[in-house]
Amino acid sequence: MVSFSSLYFLFRFLPVFLVLYFITPSKHREITLLVGSIIFYAVGEPIFILVLVLATLLNHFLAIQSWKVGEGFSLHEWQTRRRKHYMIRAVVLDAALLCTFKLLSSFVDSALLPLGISFYVFKMISFQVDLYRREVWSRPRLRYTTLYFMMFPQVVSGPIMRYHEAEFDLTRSYSAEQFEDGLKYFVLGLGMKVLLADRLAILWNDLQMIGFQSISTPLAWLGAAGYSLQLYFDFWGYSLMASGLMVMLGYNFIENFHHPYASKSISDFYRRWHMTLGSWFRDYVYIPLGGSRCSGIRLVFNLAVVWILTGIWHGNGVNFIIWGAVLGIFIILEKLLYGKLLEKIPFLGHLYVLLIIPLTWVVFAITDLPRLGIYFGRLFPFLGGPGIAVNQNDIVRYAQNYGLYFAAGIVLCIPAVFGFYEKHKKNPFIILLLVVVFWVSVYFLSTSAGNPFMYLKF
Amino acid sequence: MKFIRKCPLFVILLSTGLLFTIIAAGGKQTIYAQQEYSPFKEPLLSVMFTALNDDIYPWQILSIESIPVSDFTTEPDIQEAAGDLELSAPEDESPQPEDVPPAQVPSLDESALADSDGGQQEDQQDSGNEISEADGADIPKGRLEPLRESTREEYLNHISADIYGDAGVIRAAMYEFSQVDESYFDDALFIGDSRTVGLRDYTNLSEHADFYCETSLTIYKVMEENFKGLGTIPDALAAKDYGKIYIMVGINELGRGTTENYMEKYTEVIDTLRELEPEAKIIIQAVMRVSGKKDSEDAIFNNSNINARNNAVATLADNEHIFYIDVNEVICDEDGNLNADYTFDQIHLLGSCDELWKEFLLAHGV
Repeated sequence: MVSFSSLYFLFRFLPVFLVLYFITPSKHREITLLVGSIIFYAVGEPIFILVLVLATLLNHFLAIQSWKVGEGFSLHEWQTRRRKHYMIRAVVLDAALLCTFKLLSSFVDSALLPLGISFYVFKMISFQVDLYRREVWSRPRLRYTTLYFMMFPQVVSGPIMRYHEAEFDLTRSYSAEQFEDGLKYFVLGLGMKVLLADRLAILWNDLQMIGFQSISTPLAWLGAAGYSLQLYFDFWGYSLMASGLMVMLGYNFIENFHHPYASKSISDFYRRWHMTLGSWFRDYVYIPLGGSRCSGIRLVFNLAVVWILTGIWHGNGVNFIIWGAVLGIFIILEKLLYGKLLEKIPFLGHLYVLLIIPLTWVVFAITDLPRLGIYFGRLFPFLGGPGIAVNQNDIVRYAQNYGLYFAAGIVLCIPAVFGFYEKHKKNPFIILLLVVVFWVSVYFLSTSAGNPFMYLKF
Repeated sequence: MKFIRKCPLFVILLSTGLLFTIIAAGGKQTIYAQQEYSPFKEPLLSVMFTALNDDIYPWQILSIESIPVSDFTTEPDIQEAAGDLELSAPEDESPQPEDVPPAQVPSLDESALADSDGGQQEDQQDSGNEISEADGADIPKGRLEPLRESTREEYLNHISADIYGDAGVIRAAMYEFSQVDESYFDDALFIGDSRTVGLRDYTNLSEHADFYCETSLTIYKVMEENFKGLGTIPDALAAKDYGKIYIMVGINELGRGTTENYMEKYTEVIDTLRELEPEAKIIIQAVMRVSGKKDSEDAIFNNSNINARNNAVATLADNEHIFYIDVNEVICDEDGNLNADYTFDQIHLLGSCDELWKEFLLAHGV
């Protein structure tokens, strides 16, 4: 249910919701969306919805307190101090909420992590800080704040939209063209998720099934590349579906990915990958710490904090901290040493990104450190030795089986391809292509419905 | 018209969706009768897509008048008439015998038992008991008959009934297998699913034997499957004289049909192999079990289902032309589950552990 790429969502929840949404008079549509979002979340998380609801109400009332103090044309110093105090209190409470559940899920039971909490708590923090910074322009109304935190397109995995981006205060305009536009993004995202990411996931699964000690070095590299594409299309696809839904409902498109694999440095990559998270860390951690307008040592410290936090945010496991730390190190090195060089020689920059990023994804993917070590041993056999029962020809079979998905994935990584699509998306051929993408996706979803092993046939 | 011009994608998706739903509804009683469908989770049109996997196409709705709905064991052939079914999970993940009205269970069991041929049945039960007493004095040479029939509840819950008991396994184990070297496999043919793919790819057996194996192979497809670049098994048997034919399939079929359906097809396949290659020894390999974790979590792919079906096919072994060996002896833990250290996905041996299987085969020459 909570997955947009499920038959239940596509053919049960979504159609019913859309009909109800659009027969509701436009000034009450927020209510329909809110009720729909509560149902959406509650079906997936019948208990933890309480956490979401309580956190939402708490944040709303803290915001109202702060707003009341801040009313007026110009602020006295005592008002600013009070508002800052309220903001800090709210941010600490939100952060504590997230940390509590993170710790519970790490050390007690992984089932104790409420769905989407990493995302909605980040929204709450950004909301409180924006309010303090006076980037929230009118008195927050309960129906808007609750909707902002809970809206179903974003509650599970973002994008981490800012409060003002939702433009709650403006009169929303709805049009058939906009609906169609959103639908196109949604179908495109669905296709990326189901036809590319889910297929490539089988490759990664196969490598684990064989055991990393027994894969050949070429297959290890193919696996790293496959995982890089899988993760990209999984998350980009998801983000397109989420933003497409928002557009269908009359909201703005929130861009979350901007052709990251075409970037020329790791810093550049993370300005284009999961952009709403990157900008969140920039606006609410990095810049408050002093950003880059400070001494070299302070800059290194700021970047280190941001990237260690980014690592921790992504999951419970030492590998995520290593992953964040490694990225942080590369980004620091780019800032201090060779960033300019990469900019100047684009070929070098691309090569560097396409080599380093898949390796960091391997660290991201393998939560078990000894197994991570084995994988790196296979990537670099001069480090890890010859492996056990390695089939040197395995690459041939896998390259044959997955070549098509790699080709399609690589083509979609080229910015010009997406540009071409954007330019010609009203072309009948493109529309027919999207129709085909939709139904082929439904085919894959149907044949694997109720059977999570379907694409792991034995 | 204006609306269509403004949102063509939406209109096309809506109308194709409607069309597919009409097709699915039209074929629900006929060509799609065999497709599992739960209205709360899926749209009706999904049966049209699942049927594609079974080579049932929408236009057949026009040519096929009707296919009667399968009434489980009474018409076991029906599944084949409707094409091959993929393994499909039950609507309810866990079998819940407690949901069955208590009064019904015994009465159904009794009727099932009473339905089977009364006199013969006693004989069979006797023969089973005699063997399990392990004197070996009076071992029936022929094929063993089932002790009972699968019940409807077992069928509906995808439980493979253990209808043969361990008589076949015990009889097969009486054969004295010998230690052989790798050249023994020079005239061997291996048939199997993805697990056999692992044996092919991660041991050196493929330097000796021929492997006709494919992920998701089932007993229902064994004889027709066109193995990539190799052709079918009848082709293989016609082209070369094999001395041994090893077969391990069965895990992909667990969600499908009853032990009876499976056994019937398995028997047919073994008999066909015998016919095509009379001189070859056929070695039926027990289906490899799954790990304890998988066993406890999965309503279909669990060891009690695997064991029941292994017990069934073991009865085909006559220790003369047809043999039965069980690799689980060397890869399972003390609880009889696939050793968790030997697998990552709880189902397949790690590449580095396929050697255990090879060693087992070397120790079980016939």
